Amino acid sequence: MKKVLLTGLLTVALTAGVGAFAQAAPSVEEIVTKANHMSYYQGPDGRAKVTMTVKDKQGRSRTKAFTILRMNTDDQDKTQRFYVYFHEPSDERGTVFMVHKHVDKDDDRWLYLPALDLVKQIAASDERTSFVGSDFFYEDVSGRGLDEDSHELIETTANAYVLKNTPKDRGAVEFDSYTMYIDKNFFIPYEVRFEKGGVVYRIAKVLAVKDTTGSDGTVYKTVTKSQMVDVESGGSTTLDYSDVQYGVGLTEDIFTERYLRKPPQEFLK
Amino acid sequence: MKLGESVARVSLDHPRMIAGIMVVLCVVIGSTALLPSVLPDTFPMLHGVKVDTDPENMLSKEEAVRVFHNDMKEVFALNDIVVLGVVNETDPQGVFNPASLRKIYDLTEFALTLRGEAIGEVDPQAGVIRADVIAPSTVDNIEQGGPGVVRFEWLMPEAPATDAEALAVRDKARRIPFLDGTLLSESGQALCLYLPLTSKDLSYRVYSELREKIAGLGGEERFFITGLPVANDTFGHEMFVQMAISAPTAMFVIFLLMLLFFRKLVLIVSPLLIALAAVICTMGLLVATGNTIHIMSSMIPIFIMPIAVLDSIHILSEFFDRYQQTRDRRKTMVGVMESLFAPMLYTSLTSAAGFASLALTPIPPVQTFGIFVALGIMLAWLFTITFIPAYIMFIPERRLENFGMADTSVVETAQDKSLVGRFLHLMGYFTFHHAKAVIAVSVLVLVVAFVGMSRIRINDNPTNWFKYDHPIRVADRVLNEHFGGTYMAYLVLRAPGETGAIAPSDGDAVSEGVPETPALPSGMGGDEAPALPAGLGGDEAPALPAGLGGDDGPALPAGLGGDGPAMEAEVSVAAPEAEATFKNPEVLRYMRRLQEHLLTTGVVGKSNSLADIVKTVHRELIDGSEANFRIPDSSAAVAQCLMQYQSSHRPGDLWHMVTPNYRQTSLWVQLRSGDNLDMTHVVSSVEAFFAENPPPVPLEHEWFGLSYINVVWQQKMVAGMLQAFLGSFLVVLLMMIILFRSALWGLLSMIPLTLTIALIYGVVGLVGKDYDMPVAVLSSLTLGLAVDFAIHFLARTRALYAEHGSWDACHDHVFGEPARAITRNVVVIAVGFTPLLLAPLLPYVTVGIFLASILLVSGLATLLILPSLVRLLEPLLFPKTAACSMLCQFGTTFVASVTAIALLAVNVHPFIALSWTTLGAICTALTVVAALVAWALARRASCRNEL
Repeated sequence: MKKVLLTGLLTVALTAGVGAFAQAAPSVEEIVTKANHMSYYQGPDGRAKVTMTVKDKQGRSRTKAFTILRMNTDDQDKTQRFYVYFHEPSDERGTVFMVHKHVDKDDDRWLYLPALDLVKQIAASDERTSFVGSDFFYEDVSGRGLDEDSHELIETTANAYVLKNTPKDRGAVEFDSYTMYIDKNFFIPYEVRFEKGGVVYRIAKVLAVKDTTGSDGTVYKTVTKSQMVDVESGGSTTLDYSDVQYGVGLTEDIFTERYLRKPPQEFLK
Repeated sequence: MKLGESVARVSLDHPRMIAGIMVVLCVVIGSTALLPSVLPDTFPMLHGVKVDTDPENMLSKEEAVRVFHNDMKEVFALNDIVVLGVVNETDPQGVFNPASLRKIYDLTEFALTLRGEAIGEVDPQAGVIRADVIAPSTVDNIEQGGPGVVRFEWLMPEAPATDAEALAVRDKARRIPFLDGTLLSESGQALCLYLPLTSKDLSYRVYSELREKIAGLGGEERFFITGLPVANDTFGHEMFVQMAISAPTAMFVIFLLMLLFFRKLVLIVSPLLIALAAVICTMGLLVATGNTIHIMSSMIPIFIMPIAVLDSIHILSEFFDRYQQTRDRRKTMVGVMESLFAPMLYTSLTSAAGFASLALTPIPPVQTFGIFVALGIMLAWLFTITFIPAYIMFIPERRLENFGMADTSVVETAQDKSLVGRFLHLMGYFTFHHAKAVIAVSVLVLVVAFVGMSRIRINDNPTNWFKYDHPIRVADRVLNEHFGGTYMAYLVLRAPGETGAIAPSDGDAVSEGVPETPALPSGMGGDEAPALPAGLGGDEAPALPAGLGGDDGPALPAGLGGDGPAMEAEVSVAAPEAEATFKNPEVLRYMRRLQEHLLTTGVVGKSNSLADIVKTVHRELIDGSEANFRIPDSSAAVAQCLMQYQSSHRPGDLWHMVTPNYRQTSLWVQLRSGDNLDMTHVVSSVEAFFAENPPPVPLEHEWFGLSYINVVWQQKMVAGMLQAFLGSFLVVLLMMIILFRSALWGLLSMIPLTLTIALIYGVVGLVGKDYDMPVAVLSSLTLGLAVDFAIHFLARTRALYAEHGSWDACHDHVFGEPARAITRNVVVIAVGFTPLLLAPLLPYVTVGIFLASILLVSGLATLLILPSLVRLLEPLLFPKTAACSMLCQFGTTFVASVTAIALLAVNVHPFIALSWTTLGAICTALTVVAALVAWALARRASCRNEL
C-alpha cells in the first residue's frame, strides 16, 4: 500500500510540476485533497435532508426521502461515521444504513430493517453497488479513498482543474478511469465522468451549490443538488439536499448498533 | 373462340414486338427493384430489397396482442437475447471446473465488448446491453457472511483457480432460484450466457464475433449459440440460399423433363423464359412496392414457376401433337390457341382467385403472398398466350421438321404405343367399363380422408422450420435438455385500471436543467468540458453564458457563479400512492401457487417471478435457512427486502419483473418446447387456475412474449385460411358454372380438387404431421392446380363429345392428347420440384412434397373420377330432352346465384358487424328470391327453345 501511495505521490508531483509552469496551479495532491474535503468532510459534523428521485429511461420516476447524519472522527479527513435514515416511501420508513468509514481498512456497514426487526452487518465487499436502487453507488455517497487511484492533472480551464483518475486495482472497479472537473475557486468537483472502453458511461454532476452558515458562523459552500446519469441504462438519479446544517453536535454513540433500532429523533426531524 | 384466335394472330404477326415488350417489361421492373438494392444511395426514392425474418410480423403492427407485446417489452425493459450455451459432458464437474469457467469468464468479458465500434456501429451504446448480461461474472450473489452478516458480491468475480472454488460457484448459483435452471443446468453440465441486444438487427454481428471467438477456444466444451434473433438471422440467410439454389435447380429439372417429352431444345426454352419473366416481374413489383422478402414471399417464385410452366406445356403439348398434321406452324398455332384459350384463361383465373383469396386472411405476409402469386399467375398467362406463339414464329420451319407426333392418325385412333399412351388408353377403358367401382372407391377414399382430417393437429413451431440436424435445432435440443426451457412467455399480472403502456413522459417536478435523455458529452476529454453548476464561483467569477461553458470546461453550477437555474427545488410531493399490489404478501404467495401450478402442465420447465426474488432475499437477510425461504408477512417487509435486492450491482434487474409502482408484474415462464400447442395448453391451464383460485385482490392477467404471439397468429391463420379457402372455392365454382354455362359441369369440375384436398389433409391428419403455416397455405395451391386439370379435361370432353356424339365414341380421344397433356404436367411439376427436398428449411421441403402429392392426386382424380362420372351422368351432362334441359337451365341459374350469395356472405363477413345467424337469415331470404328468378328465367320461351 505504501509503495503504491508513494508511486502515486511521485506521479502527482511530476504532473503538478508541469502544471505549475503553465498556470502556477496548486499541486495535484493539493487539488485532490481539497476536493475530497469539500465533497465529504466540511464542518465537524453535519446533517441534511435528501430527496432522491430515480428516473428510468421510460421516464418513470420514484422518490425516496432520507436524512443523512455525518460526523468526522478525526481531523485528517479520513475516518467518518454516517447514519442514513429513510423517511419515504412509507414502507421503507425506519430503515437505517450506517457506515464506519476507515481509510486503512474496509468500511464497516450495518443495516436495520424495521419490518423484519433485523440488524445485519454487511460483509465487506466492493462498494460499487447501487445505493438503495439508485444510479449512485455506495462509494459515491461515502467517498472513494484518495489513494485508490492515481491522479493526473490533464488540463486547466477557465473554471476548472481537470483531473484524470486511474484506479490502481483495475480488477476491483468497473471503470477504466474517471475525469473530474474541479471548480478552481472552491475545489468542488462539479462533474465527474466515468469511462470504460473509451466511452463515458456514467456522469455525476453538481447542479446547484449554496452558501450555508454553520453553527459556529463558518460559511460552507454546500452542494444542494446533484445528479448521476447512467448513460447505458438511460436512467438518472437526482439528489436534492435541504435543511443542510453543520456543527449540529452529533456524538459517536449515535453511530452504534443500539441507535439502529432507536433512531436519534432529534436529529431526524 | 374469337379472342384466342385474334391474340394468336397478333402474336404470330408481330413476334418481335411481343418479345420486345416482354424483355422491356422485365428489364424495367427488374431494375426498379435491383438498382435501389445495389445502390441504395443513388436511388433513394425507390424501394430496395428488404428482408424480414421477424416472426412477429406474422401479425400486423397494429394487432392488439403485438402492440401489447411491445408495450410490455418497454415497460419491463426487456430486449431480444442471444443465448450462448456451454456444455461440458466429459468433466465430472460439468462446466464447473477451472478450465471451463475460465473460458466462460473470457467469453463473457469478450461479449461485453461487443458494442459500438466493435460491431461496426456508430452509437457506442449499440450492441450487447452490459448491465443486463446474465453470466457468472455479471450477476450478483447474496449469501451469509458469518453470524449476523450478509454478503452481496459478484457470483464469480474472477475465474476460479481450483476445482473446489469452481464447485462453490455452482453451489452458490443453485441457491438462487433466478439462476438455477436458467444460468446453470440442474446437472451442472451446462451453462447459458444471456446477451440482451439493444436491437435485434445487431444479432448477426454479435453471433459472428462470438463464433470466431469460440473457434479459437478449443477444449472439451461444446458451444451453442441460439436465441430468437440468431434464429431469425439464420433463417433469413437460409431463405436466400434456398431462393438461389432450390428454385433454379427446380427450373433445371423441369427443363430436363420437358426436353425428354418434346425433344426440341429450342422449343422448350420458351416455358422457362415465361416462368423467368413472370418471376422477375412479380418479385420486382413486390420489392418495388416496398414489400419485404418474408418467409412467405420468398416462396413466391416456387409457386409461380410450376403454374407459369403449366399453360405453356398445354400449348406445346397440343402443338407437338398437331404439328405434323399441317406442318404449318402458323396454322397449327392458331388452331391450338383457339381450343386452349378459354381453358387457359379459366385455369389461370381460378388459380389466381385461389391465391387472391389469401388477401382475406388476417396475416399480412400471407396476404402479400396471395396477392403477388395471383399477380404472377396472370402475368404468366399473359406472357404465355402472347409470347409462346411469337416464339414459335422465331423458329425456322425447317427446324421443326421432325418435331411432334410423326403419324397423326395414331393419335386420332388412340393407338399410341408409348408407355404413357398405353397407360392412358387403359385408364380410359377402365373408367368406361368400371365407372361405378371408381366412384365407390373414391367415396371410400373420401370417407377415410375425412377421418384423417378430423385428427388434424394444428401446431407450429418456428424452430422446427429448421431441419433436425441444423445447428439451430441442435442447439435448441441440447439446451432444452439441460435447462428449464429456452422458450419464453411472459404472464403479466396487474391491478385493475393499471394501463399496460407507459404514459407519454410525465412531467418531472425536479427536472429543471436535466435533459430528458441524458446527453453524452461530445468528446470525452477536456476539449468540451462541462459547464459549472449554479452556486459555484460566487460574485467574483465572470458571468458565464447560460448553460454553456464553451471551451472553458463545464458550465459552473448555480451558486458557483453560473447563472444556473433557480434553486429551491422543493421536494416533489408525489400524488397519493396507489396501493402497491405486488408488495402485498398475499399476492406474492398467490403468484407462487400459480407458479407451482404451471409446473404441473409438464411443458413449463421453470418460472421466475418477483415472489422468488423476495423469498431468496428474505432467506439470506435472516439466516440463510430453508425455513426462511418464504414471503415475509408484511408489505413493508417485502419492500425492505426488495430495497436490499436493489442495493446490488444490478438494481435494474427488479424492473424486469415489476413496475416501479408495483402495480404490474411479469411472470417469466420458460417452456421446454416452442410448439404452439404447448403454449396453448399453458394458456388454458392458467385460465383454469384463475377460475378455480380467485386471487386475494382483483388482478388482471395477460400474456406476451413470442411464444404467445405465435399462438395468436396461428389461431388467426387457421380461421383465416378456412375462410379464404371457402371463399376461393366458391369463386372457382362460380367461374366454372359460368365457363361451362352449367351448374352440373361446374360442380363436376370441383370434384377432383375437393377429393385432392380432402385426401392431402386427411393424410396430414393420419400421419400426424402438424398443420402448420406452409401446410395451411398449400390448400390454396391445391385449389388452383387441381382445378386446372379438371378444366382442361372437361373442356376437351365437351368439344370432343360435340364432334363424336357420345361418350362411348369420344372417350378414347379424350384419353389421347388432353390426357397426355395432363400427365405431362403432373410429371413435370411433381418431379421438377423434388430439388425443394434439399432445401435447408423445412417449410420448403413441405411445399416440395405437397406439390408432388397434389399434382399426382389431382391428376389421378381428374383422369379417373371425371370420366367415370361423365359415363354415369351422360344423360344429364348432355341433355337430349327439353324438360331435362329446362331443369338444367333452372339448376344452373339457381346454383350460380346461391354460390354468389354464399361467396358474398363469406367475403363480407370479416368486414361487417353481423353475426353468422343474421347473415344466414339474409342469405336464406336472398336464396328464395334467387330460386324464383331462376325458375322464371328457365321458363322463358327462348330458353325452352334452345335445344
